Amino acid sequence: MLSSPLVAWHQLSHHKMKLAVAAAGVVVAVMLMLVQLGIREGAMENSVAVARRITADLVLVSPRTRTIFQSSQFPRRLLFRLPAHDAVAGVEEMYMGQARFHNPWEHREHPISVFGLDPQFPMLNLPGFAARADDLERPDRVLFDGFSRTTYGPVVDTVKRQGFLETEINFRRVRIVDTINVGISITTDGNLYMSPANFLRLFPARDPGAIDVGLVRLKPGADREKVREQLASYVGQEARVVTRDELIASEVQFLRESAPIDFIFGMGAAVGFFIGFVVVYQILYTEVTNHLPQFATMKAMGFTDGYLLKVVLSQAFILSILGYIPGFFLALVLYRVATVAIQMQFSMTVQRATMVFLLTLIMCGLSALIAIRKAWTADPADVF
Amino acid sequence: MIIEPLPQTPANVASEFAIAAGQLNFSFGEGELQKQILFDVTFNVAQGEVVLLTGPSGSGKTTLLTLIGGLRHVRSGELTVLSQAMHQATKTDLVQVRRNIGFIFQQHNLLPFLTARKNVEMTFQLHPEVPAAEVYQRSEEILTRVGLGDRLDYHPARLSGGQKQRVAIARALAADPKLILADEPTAALDSQSGRDVVDLLQELARSKGCPVLMVTHDNRVLDIADRIIHMEDGRIQSGS
Repeated sequence: MLSSPLVAWHQLSHHKMKLAVAAAGVVVAVMLMLVQLGIREGAMENSVAVARRITADLVLVSPRTRTIFQSSQFPRRLLFRLPAHDAVAGVEEMYMGQARFHNPWEHREHPISVFGLDPQFPMLNLPGFAARADDLERPDRVLFDGFSRTTYGPVVDTVKRQGFLETEINFRRVRIVDTINVGISITTDGNLYMSPANFLRLFPARDPGAIDVGLVRLKPGADREKVREQLASYVGQEARVVTRDELIASEVQFLRESAPIDFIFGMGAAVGFFIGFVVVYQILYTEVTNHLPQFATMKAMGFTDGYLLKVVLSQAFILSILGYIPGFFLALVLYRVATVAIQMQFSMTVQRATMVFLLTLIMCGLSALIAIRKAWTADPADVF
Repeated sequence: MIIEPLPQTPANVASEFAIAAGQLNFSFGEGELQKQILFDVTFNVAQGEVVLLTGPSGSGKTTLLTLIGGLRHVRSGELTVLSQAMHQATKTDLVQVRRNIGFIFQQHNLLPFLTARKNVEMTFQLHPEVPAAEVYQRSEEILTRVGLGDRLDYHPARLSGGQKQRVAIARALAADPKLILADEPTAALDSQSGRDVVDLLQELARSKGCPVLMVTHDNRVLDIADRIIHMEDGRIQSGS
């Protein structure tokens, strides 16, 4: 029996070249959508990675801080008030800043993000940081982020080979004793991790009493929301107590407002959608137009408009599948390429893959619905 | 107001006729631009009858065929095709009637992307009562009967004009239609192929007892008819 999807397949596959062109159009669209949305999500995710790595229960920031990467500092003494509360297990200050990293191979200076926090019990998930705590307590010993851009020179290789690398940061001689892999973002090219004492050595002008982020660990079983409200009254107007999730949300919010990530990459994805739509529409429309007398004949024979719609929709579906599968794998390759080129981590998520598949179906389906109108106007009385 | 009973209305005698038309009028356009094509056309086609419809261009033959085929709505007069009153039919009714009619056009209008066999098989989409296993066999059978047993898997592009028209006939007859409407099926063919096609049509129709109404200009094929209806200027001149 010759069902409508089978008729659709015969019609599409009759001209192999045409089919290849149509599928290629969908491939481009799928790839563009996946890559653009992937970079958008990747840029977003990487930028809030630090906030996500916080393991503290509550976070203290200045009320003027919109993102922790450009934070306003607030008095450290406010943080030290908090252990007075029964539920607080411990507090920890975190300093953040931008330093100048001297690339010892090219003798150039590059900005680098610097994090100063307690290496013994960091309330930040930095794999490998606490393990080097004893080293990091010594003066001018720092860790380098292995995912930093190559602009800093072959730091990772050198440290691996000779065990350390000596260079200048903020014109001060320091020793990189190890590298740990954490990750960079669109706002930072590289990271250094060290103890607060070493941080202050690099920034002699900074007031040790002015910190960027306060991390608060609560005792097990404490009611986070309730304690947060109570702690807010401890710090008054000078600092804000937020949960980790709130911090992540406000970081995302800041990025949305300050960086045109959504717009640029959203636009890229929309262009992909549009390209696919136009190509598929063009192909389906010419298919319908070229076979108008045949379609009219079919209608005369007693085939309904619904049957013709099923044929054209089936073609749209076939094109979606034929375009999506190669498009998906091409996007995976491009994620790899982008990860290397932009030196940021990009990965495929089930959610994005599903979403783009649905968008592809909508794209092709919409083209089919517009193309079919031509077939519906075919008057079977005209074939006589 | 006195309602006079119509003598011998087509509806009364529908069962013995495949087609019964009574005082059928048809015009294109509206208002001042209205142009009447058919005037008081009254005729019948009995079951199993082969009727030719002749006449010069513009005499309304094709329009009449589209009305009988349910491709246009009847607005004035009465027309009963295969027991369906076409003048009262809804769009769905018309589609239903069309499924029981085998259409053969001037152009074969085969789907170019389907082989001869698949073009015929497709007709059975409209007849879900035919089991899938039978479809394959019946398509092959009818194509063999029109002499294309060795061309089953050819696409239309690789068939000659006459062969394509024979596939079209096979397609029209495959699902055992109760009426065949043909519009100048020989017009695009040379005389020998035309002759063959018409002979084939007649033979198949006779063997199945299926009535045929065929519009033709072609004087060479008139001999296959049981009856010839001649039309001129939208009126039946003879043969009704």
